[in-house]
Amino acid sequence: MAWAYLSKVVQGPCPALSRLVEKVGPEEAARAVRERDLSEMLGERTVARAHVDTAAHDLELVAGMGGRLVTPDDDEWPQWRLLGFGNLSRSRDEGPPLALWVLGSRPVTELTDRAISIVGTRAASGYGEHVTAEISGDLAVDGWTIVSGAAFGVDGAAHRAALGVGGLTVAVLACGVDRAYPAGHARMLRQIAQNGAVISEYAPGTTPAKHRFLARNRLVASLSDGVVVVEAGWRSGARNTASWARKLGRPVMAVPGPVTSASSTGCNRMIREGEARLVANAGDVVEEAGPIGLREGLDVVRDLDALSGDALLVYEALPAVGARGVRELSELSGVAVEQVRAVLPLLEMEGFVGSDDTGWSRQK
Amino acid sequence: MALGRAHSVAVTGVDGQLVEIEADIGRGLPAVHLVGLPDTALQEARDRIRAAVANSGEEWPDSKVILALSPATLPKVGSVYDLALVAAVLDAAKQVKRQRLRETVLLGELALDGRLRSVRGILPAVLAAKNAGWATVVVPVQSLPEAGLVGGVEVLGAHDLRAAIAWLREERDLEYPEPAQWVAQPVRADLSEVVGQVEARWAIEVAAAGAHHLMLTGPPGVGKTMLAQRLPGVLPPLTESESLEVTAIHSVAGLLPPERPLIDVPPFIAPHHTASVSALVGGGSGVAKPGAVSRAHRGVLFLDECAEIGTKVLEALRTPLEDGEVRIARRDGVARYPARFQLILAANPCPCAPAREADCVCAPTARRRYLGKLSGPLMDRVDLRVRMQAVATGAFIDDVGESTEDVRQRVAEARAAAGERWSDYGWRTNAEVPGPALRQKFRLARPALAPVERALRKGLITARGADRALRVAWTVSDLAGLDMPGPEQVVTALGFRDRSFQ
Repeated sequence: MAWAYLSKVVQGPCPALSRLVEKVGPEEAARAVRERDLSEMLGERTVARAHVDTAAHDLELVAGMGGRLVTPDDDEWPQWRLLGFGNLSRSRDEGPPLALWVLGSRPVTELTDRAISIVGTRAASGYGEHVTAEISGDLAVDGWTIVSGAAFGVDGAAHRAALGVGGLTVAVLACGVDRAYPAGHARMLRQIAQNGAVISEYAPGTTPAKHRFLARNRLVASLSDGVVVVEAGWRSGARNTASWARKLGRPVMAVPGPVTSASSTGCNRMIREGEARLVANAGDVVEEAGPIGLREGLDVVRDLDALSGDALLVYEALPAVGARGVRELSELSGVAVEQVRAVLPLLEMEGFVGSDDTGWSRQK
Repeated sequence: MALGRAHSVAVTGVDGQLVEIEADIGRGLPAVHLVGLPDTALQEARDRIRAAVANSGEEWPDSKVILALSPATLPKVGSVYDLALVAAVLDAAKQVKRQRLRETVLLGELALDGRLRSVRGILPAVLAAKNAGWATVVVPVQSLPEAGLVGGVEVLGAHDLRAAIAWLREERDLEYPEPAQWVAQPVRADLSEVVGQVEARWAIEVAAAGAHHLMLTGPPGVGKTMLAQRLPGVLPPLTESESLEVTAIHSVAGLLPPERPLIDVPPFIAPHHTASVSALVGGGSGVAKPGAVSRAHRGVLFLDECAEIGTKVLEALRTPLEDGEVRIARRDGVARYPARFQLILAANPCPCAPAREADCVCAPTARRRYLGKLSGPLMDRVDLRVRMQAVATGAFIDDVGESTEDVRQRVAEARAAAGERWSDYGWRTNAEVPGPALRQKFRLARPALAPVERALRKGLITARGADRALRVAWTVSDLAGLDMPGPEQVVTALGFRDRSFQ
C-alpha cells in the first residue's frame, strides 16, 4: 500500500526517495511524504501530488487486470538487473524504479534472466521490420526474452515475432499498465501480458509524456543483457535507450542499413562512432550479449526441453571414432530406446551427432 | 407384337447401374437388332445368344427381334448381358413365366452350347442389384462364391442356360452359394524375420499406426523389400465394408482367386518399376480398367527402385494420393476407382548403389539427379523418410525382433486412439489430418513445438516438413499411449524428416 502510494506520488525515478525508503522503510517514507516531513529536495519533488492517495484503488484495479505491484521487498524484484543504477551519478531521473507495476503471471526475475532489448524507430522500413522479426524470432526460439517498448515500428515487430514463435516478451510502458499505448497495440499488449509481462514504473492512470518515454528507455536497457537497435533515425528514442545501456554497462548492438536510408542513419552513425557493435543476426547478438561460449556446449539442447540428462548420456555413449546404432546406444547409455530416438534428432539438429549408412556418430 | 423384359447390371469402374433389357418381336425378316450403345463384345452377343438358345433346345423367334438396353445413353460393355438378353427374348415369346423374371437380375455370358460363363465384375454388379432393391440375382455357378459375399440378396448359380430357363419356368431350383469355407489365409512373412534394422522396423510400426506414406532408402540387400512386404501384416484387417470395396475392385480387374474370393487382408501390390502410367493408375481402351493404385486400395502400394520409375508415372500418383480415388476418362465413359492406399517407396541412395555408401563411384551430379526427381509435391505426401543402415556389426544378428502379431496389437490400439480423436472431423488416421488443423486446432504445447521451431529456424525442415513432423508426432504419441505428443515425441518424429537437403 505504501509502495503504491509512493509510486503514484513520485511518478518516475527519484534516487533520493529510493534511498529514503531503503533507510526507513516504505511505511515511514510514505508517512513522511504525506505529512511533508522531508528534506527540501525531496519535498519539492513530492509536494505537488502528496495529497493524491489512490493506492488502494490502483492496487485493486491492477489486480483486476491480473497484475500486481512488484517492490524491492519481493523475491522477484530484478535486483541484479537494476544494480547498474547504483554506479550512476545520483542526479534526478537516474535512479532505479521505486516499484514496478506488472501485468502477467511469470516472475520478473525469470523473465529478465536471459533477455535482449530490441528497439528502433517507429517509422520502420520494410527492411527494418523484416530484420527485427528475424532476430527477435530467432532469439525467442532460443529462449531469450525480448524486451521492448511496445511502440509502432521496430518495437511492435520485435514483440510480434517473439509472440509468433511462442517465445517470451516484455513490454515496458511509459504510462500506467492500465492504459494501452499506442492504442493500436492494445490487442498485442494483452497477448504480451499472457506470454510474458507488461511492465511500468508508473502507477495506473499515468498518461504517457515525453520525459516518461526517456525514463522508460532506461528500464528497457536495464532489464536485459544487451540492447539491439535495428533502425534509428538521426535523432531517435532508440539512441537514447542505447546511451542508457552504455551507462549501465550493457552491450549495445546496431543493425546497419543502407547509407541512403534515413531510418538507418542513427544505427550507421553509432557503428561508425564505435558506440555500438555491428550485428546482422541472432547469432551475432548472442555472441555479443550472451554468456561466453553459449554457442557451443550442450546448453542449447537443454534450453529446448528437459532432455539434457538423456541427451548427455547418449552423447557420451557414442565412441570418439565410428558409428553406433540406436539399439547399441541404448544399451551403452542405459537410456531406453524410445528416449534415444527422442534425443538423437535433437543432437543432430544442434550438430553434435551425425548419421550415415553405418549409424550415428560424433561430430564434435 | 410381343414385348419381353429382363434386367442386368452395367458396371463402370466399381459402380454398377441397373440396365433394363427389352425385347420386341415384331414383323419383318428374321434378324436381331441391338440398340443402346453396345460395344463390340455386346454386338457379338446377337450371334452368341441365338446359338446358345438353339443349342439349349429352345426356339428362337422366327421374326425380327429388337433388343434395347436402357438407359440408352449409358455405354454397355462386355458379355455380362447375354443371359438377360435371352430371358427378355423368351419372355417376349411367352416361353417363360414372368413371375420370377420380374424380380431377378440376370448376369452371365453364354457359350454357344448354352453353358454360362463367368465374367469380371460380378461382385460390384451384385452389390448394385442389392442396393437397387432387387431380391434375386442369378449368376454363373463359377461366380457363386464371389457373388455370395453380398448379404441381403438371394444369389443363385446356374450351370447353363437350360437350368436358368427351367428355373424361370419354376420347374427346378438353382444352386445356392455354399457357406463361407475358405482355405486358410496364406501365412504372411513375419516381422521377426528381419535381422537387425531396429529403426526401420520401428518406422514400419509408425507407418502402420498412422497410415503414413513411407520412403526407405538404403544400400541394396539391406532389407527394404523385405520390410515393405511385412507392412500389410501389421495393418489391422479390413472391415467388412472395406473388404467388399477391395474385393469389388479386384473382381473388376478379374483377379479374384476362385477358391478365396473375399479379400479381407490389406492387399500388397508391388508393380515393377518399368510400369506405365496406365498400369499404375488404370486405363486401357474402351472403359478404363483398375490400375495398381486401385488394386492397392486399403492396402499397400510398394514401389521398389522408385528412382528408376519415370517422372510421369510418379507424378500420376499425385491425384490418387490427394483424392483417394482415380477418375479415368476413356472413349466409353469415365471410370471411377477408389485408390486409398499406403505408399511405400524404396530406393537406393545412388545409381551404383554399393553395399557401403563410402564406396560410391557415382558423379556428384548423378547422385543429385537420382533421387532428385522424387522431390516436389509427391514427396510432400510422404511423412516418413527412413535411411536404412547396413548391418554394420554382427552383434545383433542372432537377435530376434518382435513378431508381427505383437506389433499389430500396438498398431491396432494406436489406430483406435487416433480414430476416436479425429472421429468428429471425419479423419480416420493421423496421415489424413491436414496441416492447418495440426497447427491451429490441435496445436501442441509450447515446449513440444520448440524442437520443430528450432529445426525450422535452422532450415533443417521446410514448413511442410514441420507439418509432417507434427503429424508423425501424433502417431508416436498414440503408440506410446499418450493423450498428446510431448517434446520427446516431436523430436522422435523429427528423426523421420527428409535429410536430403542438408
